[in-house]
Amino acid sequence: MERYKFAPAYELPSWPFVAPPELGSDSVARHPIVIVGAGPAGLTLACDLARRGVRALLLDEDDTVGVRGASSRGICYAQKSLEIFARLGIYERVAEKGITWSFGRTFSDQQEVYNFNLKTDSVSAQPPFINLQQFYIEWFLVERIIELGLTDLRWKNRVVDVTPLADGVRIEVETPAGRYTIEADHLIDATGANSPIRTRLGIDAHPSRSTDRWCISDVRFKKPLPTERWTWVDAPFNEGRAVWQHLMGDGVWRIDYQMPEDCDTAHISRPEVAGARLREQLGPGVEFEFVWIGPYGYRDHLLDNFRHGRILFIGDSAHVVSPFGARGGNSGIQDAANLGWKLALVAQGLAGDALLDTYDAERRPAAIENLRVTSRSARFLAPRTPAEHTLRRAVVALASRHAFARALVNTGRMSVANDYPAAPHLPEGGRSVQNLPLRHLDGTPTTLMELLADGTRCLGLWFAPTRAQAEAAADVAASLPLRLVAVGGDSGLAALQPDEALARHLGNPAPGSLCLVRPDAYRATLLDKPTPASISAAVHAALAHR
Amino acid sequence: MITEPHIPDPDGFYAAWVGAHEGLTEAQSADFNARLVLLLANQCGDQAVLLACIDAAREAGMASETPPRSPA
Repeated sequence: MERYKFAPAYELPSWPFVAPPELGSDSVARHPIVIVGAGPAGLTLACDLARRGVRALLLDEDDTVGVRGASSRGICYAQKSLEIFARLGIYERVAEKGITWSFGRTFSDQQEVYNFNLKTDSVSAQPPFINLQQFYIEWFLVERIIELGLTDLRWKNRVVDVTPLADGVRIEVETPAGRYTIEADHLIDATGANSPIRTRLGIDAHPSRSTDRWCISDVRFKKPLPTERWTWVDAPFNEGRAVWQHLMGDGVWRIDYQMPEDCDTAHISRPEVAGARLREQLGPGVEFEFVWIGPYGYRDHLLDNFRHGRILFIGDSAHVVSPFGARGGNSGIQDAANLGWKLALVAQGLAGDALLDTYDAERRPAAIENLRVTSRSARFLAPRTPAEHTLRRAVVALASRHAFARALVNTGRMSVANDYPAAPHLPEGGRSVQNLPLRHLDGTPTTLMELLADGTRCLGLWFAPTRAQAEAAADVAASLPLRLVAVGGDSGLAALQPDEALARHLGNPAPGSLCLVRPDAYRATLLDKPTPASISAAVHAALAHR
Repeated sequence: MITEPHIPDPDGFYAAWVGAHEGLTEAQSADFNARLVLLLANQCGDQAVLLACIDAAREAGMASETPPRSPA
């Protein structure tokens, strides 16, 4: 029998426990912002706040990154997340360590039925996707947070109780050196799918568990393969069930096998069983070593409200979807970026409590959309009845011959920046603006994210304003969190060179119009004939001022 | 959704449809019909009409659960 090798375990960093000053103190310290959970969502939020000059306390029960050793939960980071990482200052490291890809192929049996190139719609400085083990993302974020120096990051600090107060939250924390109590103006729960805070507060997440079963094999091997996302609807080397194949950092391939619903999870994840599966796929003579093997099922849940008074839920604590399309981790990162600037403005006294309600108003519909999309993929991948198998067979049979049927082959619709519904603070609804490479008037390169990176201000991209218009608006801009930048024209404002991609991306705004972009690079509104009064009203609306 | 006669040669279409099922097992017939539905759906290309057709097909199936009337 073939013997299978395991790669040496990853050596992940750990950070020391430092006894917090509150230990043994009689008075209860008050912190404006307390984040619980140093996963991708919690770390992104802490880093986002720090980048805006806002302090936060971040509590984590562990002292390292990742989960269960070298396993990786998230592997695909979508463009919007990468743009956020660019603003936070970790994108270069992610790009260097990760695998940039935009091309995917879908197979049925031996035949390719469909492929896609996500690059075609992109105008961003970031690619559609980079694959990287989640623990690297967390690692880079932790180091960046430490570098920015504004976050009190407390390892081995486990939250054991939370009590909502009229004007805040009381938090009970357990550490290796004892317990202490603090209060927060706002508590952000980023503790993940099994949130103990949610449980403690008795908030129902409406979970539903799928019977679909999968087994991950993270593996390194020498067979050269293109850097593409390959999926099989029904792989001949997996008894006609689905398979995923993706390259991550360090030359590690994630190969994810759909298993029978009634499988014995201990059996299918044994090295000799997983090894035989892989041998069937690779053929004889291909050397490989395992990095990690693990079975999993998936579930979904969704909170009725992402905000409960002074407690806000982000990432998996608020919503969980099936993994198809990489909409879990990415939406947690994007929750954090949605909330970061709002918390920052509230903490700085520049916006009121109503702005925090817009977090729920925007990110809950995004979660509903992600749930809808991923549930459809899950159903395509795991037909429930013989009749559903018949329908799927029809799709696959036609897809290899006719282009129209390829649109029905659903092996996951990759994560996109969700649109936000129209609301009083977003009269036209919200749409992400990609991180366009731009040039200042003097030719120096910049990007949209660079223009948004300093402080927490909306960006008014003003297309060829006149000098009189710009001068009239100067007082408004100075009195609000607003930075006005001209695109072309001779207005005396800081200006960018006119850019065709920018104009097209924003719907070819007429000369003189002003596009208001929020600090999270969502378009708030487009003013056809901006005046000081209409600019002021638009900013007040975007910040939910009342 | 068009429910008035719209097929130029109804008998000819039915003959071709039945003919395509000749010699197929029940499973093959089901597969064939599923492929046919997809091809026809793409000819229609109107989401509202497609959803109305799904509803109409479901309703007609429910009506067939009542005992059939004897032929006149």
